Amino acid sequence: MNLDDELRSALRRDNPSPDFARRVVAQAKFSAKPKKSMPRMMWAAAIAAILAVGFTAPYEYRQMKAERAASDAVLALRITAEKLNMTREKVLRIEN
Amino acid sequence: MLTQGIAAAVPQIMTDDPDRFEELVREHQAMVFSMACRYLRNRALAEEIAQDVFLQLYRKLATLESPEHVLHWLRWVTAHRLIDHSRQEKRRPQSPLEEAPEPAAADPTNNADPLLSDMLRDLVAALPENARVVMILRYQEDLDPMDIARALDMPVATVKSHLQRSLALLRDKLRDKLARTKGVGL
Repeated sequence: MNLDDELRSALRRDNPSPDFARRVVAQAKFSAKPKKSMPRMMWAAAIAAILAVGFTAPYEYRQMKAERAASDAVLALRITAEKLNMTREKVLRIEN
Repeated sequence: MLTQGIAAAVPQIMTDDPDRFEELVREHQAMVFSMACRYLRNRALAEEIAQDVFLQLYRKLATLESPEHVLHWLRWVTAHRLIDHSRQEKRRPQSPLEEAPEPAAADPTNNADPLLSDMLRDLVAALPENARVVMILRYQEDLDPMDIARALDMPVATVKSHLQRSLALLRDKLRDKLARTKGVGL
């Protein structure tokens, strides 16, 4: 007995049930459409958008922080001016 | 001839034509199903796994470039799917009914001794996962060690060692089994 031949014979291909292919196709139609690969132009556009956001975001963040600091400074100056006016009025009252 | 037909069919399958996809399934169903069936010794489960493999193929078709690529992909996915399945099964307790091997379908064209073939299928199905897949690709698909190594991403030396060890093991176990059933050695 030749073991190689016996193994080839024992492990030879066998077919699934006759309606197997039809069942697979029916299942495929309902469960999953083949995914179309994204065109290269779309990949390029997506990468460009990510890079643009990546480069402009820090600049916009710095600008937003500067605007907030400027408005805080204006508010601080207004408060200081009010305090100075109140002090000036008190000094004038004491002098009179 | 058939390969040429499929070669022409592959780009059209990518355009969602279910008839073309059915042709592709018919072309490869015996290979995928038989790998699963020899590995698992369970026809119903083998059909289930083969169906999953083909559904995965359907979703993946647009990325496969040629009929050879499809064939290689199917072998690779089926082999790894089977290994993963048996590793998961090891962690799950099984009922005796699930463990019972499926009887092989009668094949009038096969002249081999059905008892011996059945014993060999049992012995192959009892091998460790990687060795089992290597033996199935060698004797069912008639691949040489180099092709098996490529199909499984495995070093050729490992494939050869699996083949040698499995054959030695099968020879010993078969000799014991035959001695017990017939009272004669190999």
